[in-house]
Amino acid sequence: MTAPGFAMEARDLRRSFGSERAVDGVTFGVRAGELYGLVGPDGAGKTTTVRMLVGLMAPDGGEVRLEAAGGAKAGSEAAREAVGYMPQQFSLYGDLSVGENLQFFGQLFGLTKTQRQERETRLLDVTRLGPFRDRRADALSGGMYKKLALACALLHHPKVLLLDEPTNGVDPVSRRELWDLLYEFVSEGMAVLLATPYMDEASRCHRVGLMHRGRLIAEDAPAALVRSFPHPALLLHATDRDGLERRLAGRPDVMALSPQGASLRVVVRASGQADFRAWFAAQVPDGTMEVVAPDFEDVFLGLSSAPREVAP
Amino acid sequence: MMPRPLVRIAAMANKEMRHILRDPQMLAFALVMPVGLLLLFGVAVSFDIEHIPMVVVDQDHSQSSRKLADSFTVSNTFNVVAHRGDPDDAEPLFRSGAARVALVIPRGYEASVLHGPEAVAQLLIDGADNTSASVALGYANAVALSSSQRAFVELLGDATPPLEARPRTFFNPELRSAVFLVPGLMVMVLVMVAVMLTALTVAREYERGSMEQLFATPVGRLEIILGKLGPYFAIGQVQVLMVLTLGVWVFDVPMRGSVALVFLVASVFLFAMLMQGLFISVVTRNQMLAGQIAAVSTFLPALLLSGFIFPVESMPWVLQVIARILPARYLVRALRAVMLRGADFETVLPDIGAMFLFFVFLLVVATKRFKRTVA
Repeated sequence: MTAPGFAMEARDLRRSFGSERAVDGVTFGVRAGELYGLVGPDGAGKTTTVRMLVGLMAPDGGEVRLEAAGGAKAGSEAAREAVGYMPQQFSLYGDLSVGENLQFFGQLFGLTKTQRQERETRLLDVTRLGPFRDRRADALSGGMYKKLALACALLHHPKVLLLDEPTNGVDPVSRRELWDLLYEFVSEGMAVLLATPYMDEASRCHRVGLMHRGRLIAEDAPAALVRSFPHPALLLHATDRDGLERRLAGRPDVMALSPQGASLRVVVRASGQADFRAWFAAQVPDGTMEVVAPDFEDVFLGLSSAPREVAP
Repeated sequence: MMPRPLVRIAAMANKEMRHILRDPQMLAFALVMPVGLLLLFGVAVSFDIEHIPMVVVDQDHSQSSRKLADSFTVSNTFNVVAHRGDPDDAEPLFRSGAARVALVIPRGYEASVLHGPEAVAQLLIDGADNTSASVALGYANAVALSSSQRAFVELLGDATPPLEARPRTFFNPELRSAVFLVPGLMVMVLVMVAVMLTALTVAREYERGSMEQLFATPVGRLEIILGKLGPYFAIGQVQVLMVLTLGVWVFDVPMRGSVALVFLVASVFLFAMLMQGLFISVVTRNQMLAGQIAAVSTFLPALLLSGFIFPVESMPWVLQVIARILPARYLVRALRAVMLRGADFETVLPDIGAMFLFFVFLLVVATKRFKRTVA
């Protein structure tokens, strides 16, 4: 069942911490030249999945294969040569300067001095960290630090790049710059996996896997997921918005519910749409209802509310 | 072009050196502490017993009694702090600690010396301080023996005693403490820095998250360990040089053997200790815990089980077995052999071998326990 062109593939990955199943049978693949988003709220199992992909955590079951490294297993020497990894938390040496961190990781990846200098200059240039070459890593701002971590992960020209919440704590401008960089590398043929809790970032990936409680509940291109989403999104308006929200919260046909300005945005199960409309007209006489096109966030919230019932 | 593992080890070592040089507290700890310890032990700690306070109770007031008292005071071992006429008056001095030894010469002492049958004088010793007590005891025996001998000679005319002990102390004729202590002090200095600093280094990488990045690169576990050993080994060598320089020039410790051999012995010991620290670090993954284990597992054994102060041979067998495993004792023994007795390589080879075994064992175990995982 291996689809051709996967640079990295995870099959039925499982990992528990005590009795808690952090990752519960996750299967997916990332192609060369593809930006794959692993999307889910905090605690969904994204970091555990990424760590197993890098080989920093042994799975209880399942396996990771890197076709980009001749089918090597995660964490093997060949795999480490082919993979670039940017952890979620601070992981560089704070007391070393930007240049020294780059030098150190370049040496570990066995780059020659010329290669190192060439790539360092280029990476410092594209990340615009050039002027801060001598600054200690722990004196960098959040955005600059993330760009340095990215530069360190890119030094050896990995075929597969794994990023765990790379824009966490990054200002909007740096965030944009990071994304521009990512697109550039992907267009050069790199396979990039990005774990993120942000729906706006997810919608910019080529494909996304929606992760919820350790499982992958849906996987497709963001636009395709929105297109094939069968449930309508409604914008409800009532004078007593909070009262309405309380009354909606317990209803089984309401899949997602969130305030949007003065209104409430809800996703209603398609099969119960007629009943819901009738109920709303009868119970909320002063209310108005507007049908809107579901966006990616509606899809994610809707799918994660009752994953088993919406599965195909 | 260097082979890649060597490049990576060098990169680790270089990075570690930068950490050290940018941490002034750590550097100060590593370089100031040896000097401090050496001065402290070299000057303040002395096992040379001198000037034991003594009270003399002479009730005989004869030539013989004065001679007996004088035989105690000719050396520096005793200091007469008071004369009393009655043994009961000496007791308060004892209780207050003003005197540790009392010599009581009863009435009729001279008569007994001259006409027999037996001359008796009493030496009261404060046993609370057992070192000065045993020195006083030994000294009293020696005085009694030589006085009796003299009496025999006077009685028998021109006779020589059939048996006479003429001991000669080799290598440290004046039995100075410093000569004995400085080689042992090397142990204290090296264990503290070698184990303490390396025990923190791997744990720090786990705590600061850099291990996660490090394990994602091609660097091997053995390469990480060897790379981290390098810079601390260099610091250890500087310490050896400092202790030797101070020991030889300030405390007049002789250097009868080869300096190169001393460095070789110290280097093997250093490797063993650095490895012990790394092992603790790999197992605990926690700086606080690693520091505590490092302190307990090095300081006490180095002080108590190395033969630095207390001879291992007189310990219970359990402690002797532990002492036999730990490298501290081998270092002290080999250093004393080379520095004081001028021993050559073959003589200290068993000691070097024992320390090297300890190093290799821990290197293997630490590398095995060093998992490439973060949870």
